[in-house]
Amino acid sequence: MLRWVLAAGLVFGVGSARAGGVLTIAQAQDPNNWDPIATFLVPWGAVASNVFDGLVLRDEQLVLKPGLAESWEVLDGGMRLRFRLRRGVLFHNGEVFDAEAVRFTMARLLGPEGAKGPQQSNYTSIGSVDVVDPYTVDIVLKRPDPVMVSKLAGYGAMMVPPKYVAEKGGVEFGQKPVGTGPFRVVGYENKVSLTLEPAAGHWDGKPKVDRVVYRFIVEPNTQVAELQAGRVDVASNVPIALIPAITASAALQVVSTTGPSVTVLRFNTAQGPTRDARVRRAMVMAVDRDAIVKQILQGHAKAVTGFQSALSFGFDPGRAAVPFDPAGAKRLLAEAKVAPGTAVSLDFRSNDTTFREVAQAVAGYLGAVGLKVQVRPFEMNVFTNDIIPNGKTGEMFQMGWGGWTFDYDNTAYLMYHSGERWNPYDKDPGLDAMLEGQRLIVDRGEREAALRKVAGFVADHALELPLYNVDTYYGVNRRVKGLVVPPDNRLRLIGASVD
Amino acid sequence: MAEVGRFLLRRLGLSVFVVLVVTLLVAWAIRLSGDPAMMLAEGAGSVTEQDLRNIRAALGLDRPFWAQYGGFVGGMLTGDMGRSFMGGLPVARMVGQALPLTVMLAFLSLGVSLLVSVPLGVTAAVRRGGWVDQVIRVVSLVGLSFPNFWLAIMLVLVFSIALGWLPPSGTEGGVGLVMPVATMAVILSATNVRLVRSAMLEVLGAQYVTVARSKGLRETVVLYKHALRNCAIPLITFIGLQFGGLIGGVVVVERVFNWPGMGSLAFDAVASRDYPVLQAVVTVLAGMIVAVNLLVDVVYGLVDPRVRGQ
Amino acid sequence: MRFRSFEFIVGAGLTGAMVLAVVLADVVFEAGAEAMDLAMRLAVPFRSWAHPLGTDPLGRDVLARVVSGGRVSLTVGVLSVLSAAVVGTGAGLVAGYYRGVWDTVLMRWADVQLALPFILVALTFAAILGTDMWKLILFMAVAQWVQYARVVRSATMVLRERDFVVSAVAVGVRDPVIIWRHILPNAAAPVLVLMTLNVATNILLESSLTFLGLGIDPMVPSWGGMLADGRTYLQTAWWVSVFPGLAIMLTVLGLNLLGDWLRDSTDPTTRSVS
Repeated sequence: MLRWVLAAGLVFGVGSARAGGVLTIAQAQDPNNWDPIATFLVPWGAVASNVFDGLVLRDEQLVLKPGLAESWEVLDGGMRLRFRLRRGVLFHNGEVFDAEAVRFTMARLLGPEGAKGPQQSNYTSIGSVDVVDPYTVDIVLKRPDPVMVSKLAGYGAMMVPPKYVAEKGGVEFGQKPVGTGPFRVVGYENKVSLTLEPAAGHWDGKPKVDRVVYRFIVEPNTQVAELQAGRVDVASNVPIALIPAITASAALQVVSTTGPSVTVLRFNTAQGPTRDARVRRAMVMAVDRDAIVKQILQGHAKAVTGFQSALSFGFDPGRAAVPFDPAGAKRLLAEAKVAPGTAVSLDFRSNDTTFREVAQAVAGYLGAVGLKVQVRPFEMNVFTNDIIPNGKTGEMFQMGWGGWTFDYDNTAYLMYHSGERWNPYDKDPGLDAMLEGQRLIVDRGEREAALRKVAGFVADHALELPLYNVDTYYGVNRRVKGLVVPPDNRLRLIGASVD
Repeated sequence: MAEVGRFLLRRLGLSVFVVLVVTLLVAWAIRLSGDPAMMLAEGAGSVTEQDLRNIRAALGLDRPFWAQYGGFVGGMLTGDMGRSFMGGLPVARMVGQALPLTVMLAFLSLGVSLLVSVPLGVTAAVRRGGWVDQVIRVVSLVGLSFPNFWLAIMLVLVFSIALGWLPPSGTEGGVGLVMPVATMAVILSATNVRLVRSAMLEVLGAQYVTVARSKGLRETVVLYKHALRNCAIPLITFIGLQFGGLIGGVVVVERVFNWPGMGSLAFDAVASRDYPVLQAVVTVLAGMIVAVNLLVDVVYGLVDPRVRGQ
Repeated sequence: MRFRSFEFIVGAGLTGAMVLAVVLADVVFEAGAEAMDLAMRLAVPFRSWAHPLGTDPLGRDVLARVVSGGRVSLTVGVLSVLSAAVVGTGAGLVAGYYRGVWDTVLMRWADVQLALPFILVALTFAAILGTDMWKLILFMAVAQWVQYARVVRSATMVLRERDFVVSAVAVGVRDPVIIWRHILPNAAAPVLVLMTLNVATNILLESSLTFLGLGIDPMVPSWGGMLADGRTYLQTAWWVSVFPGLAIMLTVLGLNLLGDWLRDSTDPTTRSVS
C-alpha cells in the first residue's frame, strides 16, 4: 500500500512539474529488458535510441551519419572497416568510451551472452574486432557483407559500458541500462513507466526537456483517451479509427511520416487455387488498393507495387501498379476454371485492428469477383511461429515487413529464397540464383539493377498481392514543439520541448 | 470438535491437491502453445535453428517437461518463482507488485457490488410483482447486457474525456480505482441483485419469517435480521463460484484501465509465452480462488452438517 | 402457467421478435450483411432508407449486420448453454444421488476447473487451436458445465433425503425413475436461472474474446464481434457498436424475463408468495 501512495505522489509531482518541460509519451509495450542484445522490438528502439548511441547512427531521414565514430573507411576490398572514435565521450556512469568499449560491446554481442538473444544472428559476418589505438578500431569481416555499416546503426551494436556490465551482470544491466546517449535512465517500473533525464555533456548537444516519462499503455483506446485528457503528450499507438477523434481537438494533432514498413498478402503458391499464377494475378487485379488506402487508412499510407517502400534500396519508381480491374479478374478466373463461389481463406494476425478492417475490405473485393473469402484471425505468436513457417496458411496470408536495413535484399532474400523461414511455399532455382547473385555485387548501381530484376520477377509471377506502405504516425499534443517523427519509430527527443 | 478438525484438514488437503492439478494443467497447456525462443527472436530475419537452441538452453527449456515442472513446483514451495523469460526479472517480485493491485480491485468491486445489490434485491423481493420490482430487475439486466470492456470505454469517454473528472488509466491514489471498480461492480451487481432477490423470495415464504412477523417485529428487523441472514448461505456460495469469473473479468478491465495487476501480467505472459510468469500468476490466482471457496465450504460445512458427512 | 404476467408478455415478445428477425434475415436483406461499399463508409443512421441504421467502416449496412449477427450470437449463446447444462445436470444428478467415488472425482475436477480463471484458459487454447464458432461453443461448454454440476448436485443431495424420495426408494422404484420423476423436476429451477444468465454471459464472452484479439471470422457478423470492433469508433461513429449492443440488451432482457417467468411457474416454493 505504501508503494502505491508513493507512486501516487510521484505522478502528481510530474503533473505540477510539467511547466518545466516534462514530455510524457505513451508506448504500447514494455520490452521488459533494455539490454541492446536482447531484443528486436520496435518499442525498445523507440525508447532506448535516446539512451544508447552506436558507432553509426541514422538521422531523421534515415541517412547514415557519424555517431560515436567520427568517421570510417572501408579497407581490404570491403573486408575491414576502420572507425575513428569520438574523443571525450563518457557513459552515464562516468566510464570512458574508447576502442576497448567497442571491442567489449561487439565481443559480448557475438559471444555466449549474445547467443541468448536474437540480435547476434545479424552480425555473424564479423570475424574480429581489433583495437588499433584507444580511439581507432577495426571491424574485420569473415565474409562480404555490403550492409554491415548500416547494421552498426541497429539495436545490437549500441555501445555498452564494459565495467558496468561486467560488474552488474546482464540481468541488472537490462533493468538499469547505461549508455552514452543524450538521456540517462533515472527510473524504471516494469510495465508501468520509464523515466529519462538529460545526460550531462552529450556530444550532440543538450536536450531541451527536463524529463521524459514513457508510460506503457497496451490498449490503443486508452492511449488516445490519455492523450485527449492531456495526460500524455505523445500517443504512439493510434488506431486509424481514432484519428478523426484526435484531429477534432484543437489541442491535438496527428504527426506522420512515410515509414519503411510494407504490408502485403502473400499467396500460398503450393496448394489450392492460388497455385495457378492466373488466379493470383486475377486476385491482384480484383482489389482496389487506392480505395483501401483512401477510405480505410484515411490516406495514411501509399499503395505499393511490390514488397518494398520508396525508402528501400532496390525500389523501382518506374514500376507500374497492376490496375484495379474486376472485369479482367473475372475473365482470368474463368480462364483458370475457378468456379464462382470457390472458397479461399485469408489469414491475419488477430491483434492488428487496422488490418482487421483491411482484410475484410480485401475479402469484399474478392467476393465481388466471385470468390468466397473466409477471414481467419490467428494469435500473433502462433501465426508467425507455426502457421507461416510450417506452411499451414490458407490461400493468402498477411505479411508486414519493416525492411529495417532499407535494402530490398533484407526483404527479398528472406521472403523468396527457398528454404527461408518466411518462405514456406516458393521454390524457384532461377529466383534463388538471382537472390544469391546480387549479394556478391559490390557496385551499387549494378546491385540496384539486380534487385529491381528480382522485384520484376516477383510481380510477373504474382507471388504476392501488394497492398500498402503504411505511414508512421503519432497523436501529439500541440504543446510539444520540435518533435521530429522518423520513419523507423526511433523518436530522437534531443530537440523536442514542451510549452 | 475432532470431527470438525478432520473435516478442515481434509478440505485443506484437497485444496492443495486442486492447486497442484491446476499448475500441472497450466504448465502443460502453455508448452503446447508455442516456443518462447521464437518469441524472443521475433522480427529477427535470419534465425537459425542453432540460435533457437541457444535461446532455449539459456531459458532451461532443453530439460524434459517433468524436470521443468518439478523445478517450478519446488521453487514455488520455497517462494522462488524463477525469473521471467522476458527481461529476467524475478517472478516473485513481479507477482508481489501486481497481486495487491488485483486483490484490491477484486474485493473492492465485490464489496461495492454487495452494498448496492443487497438493498436492491431485498426491496425487489419485498415489492415482488410491483413496479419497483420490475424496474430493479430490468435495470439490473441492463448491467448484464454489455461486456465489461465496453462499459469501461464508455465510462472513460464520459468521465475522463467529456467531463474530465477522472484519469483514464493508471493507479494514481484513490481516483484511479473509481472507474475500474465501478465497471466490475456494475457487472457483478447485475447477477447479485437477482440472486439476493430470489434467495429472499424463498426465505420470505418460510415459516420463521411468518412467525417473526406475527410476533409483531418491525419489518426492517424481520427482513435484514431474520430473512437476510438465512439467504446469506446461497449468496456466499455463489460468491465463491463467481470468484473465478470475477478474476477473469479483472483481466479485461485491467487492460482497458492499464492497471498493472495480475490480469495484465497474465495477458502479457500468454502473449509472449513467458512460462514462469504465467505459471506463477495462474497458481497464485488459483490459490486465491481455492482459498475463497474453502472458506465458503468451511462456513457451509459448519452450518449444515449434511454437507460435512460422507 | 400464467400467461398474462409482465414477465411472460415482455420476455416472450422480445425473445420471439429476435428469433423471428434472425430467421427472416436472409429473406429481408437480399443484399446480405456482406455487401461492401467503401464509398459509403460510416453513413450516419436515420438518414436514408437504404441504410436506416447507418453503415460500418466498410460501408456495410448496420441493420443487415445486426439482424444476421444475431444468428451467430444466439447460436453461440444457446448451444453452449444447452450443452453445458445437459452435461452438467447429468453429472450433478449422478454425483448427488449416488455419492461415492464418482462424486469425489467429479467434484474435485469441478474444483480444479473453478480454480482456473476461464479467460486465461480460453486465451491459451484459442491460441493453440484457433477460433471458430464451434470451438467457441466447445470452450464455453467445457468451462461452464461444472457450474450446473455443482448446483444440481447440491440440490440432489438435499432432495434425496426428502420423504417422497425416501419412500419411493422404500417401495422399490428404480433409481433412473426416481431421478427423472422426482429429483430432476425439483432441481430444475436453479438450472433454468443459471441457463438464462449464461446465455447472456456467453454472448458477451464472444465479445470479450474479440476484444482480446481472439474472435471469429470478422466477415461473419456477430453482435459481440461488432461491439468489440466498433469500440474504436465510439467517439466518431457510435452507431457501429451501439446498435449491436442494443440487440444484445433486448435479447438478454427477453431471455431473462422469460427465465424468471418459467422459474416462478415451475417452482412451488415461490409460487405461493405474491
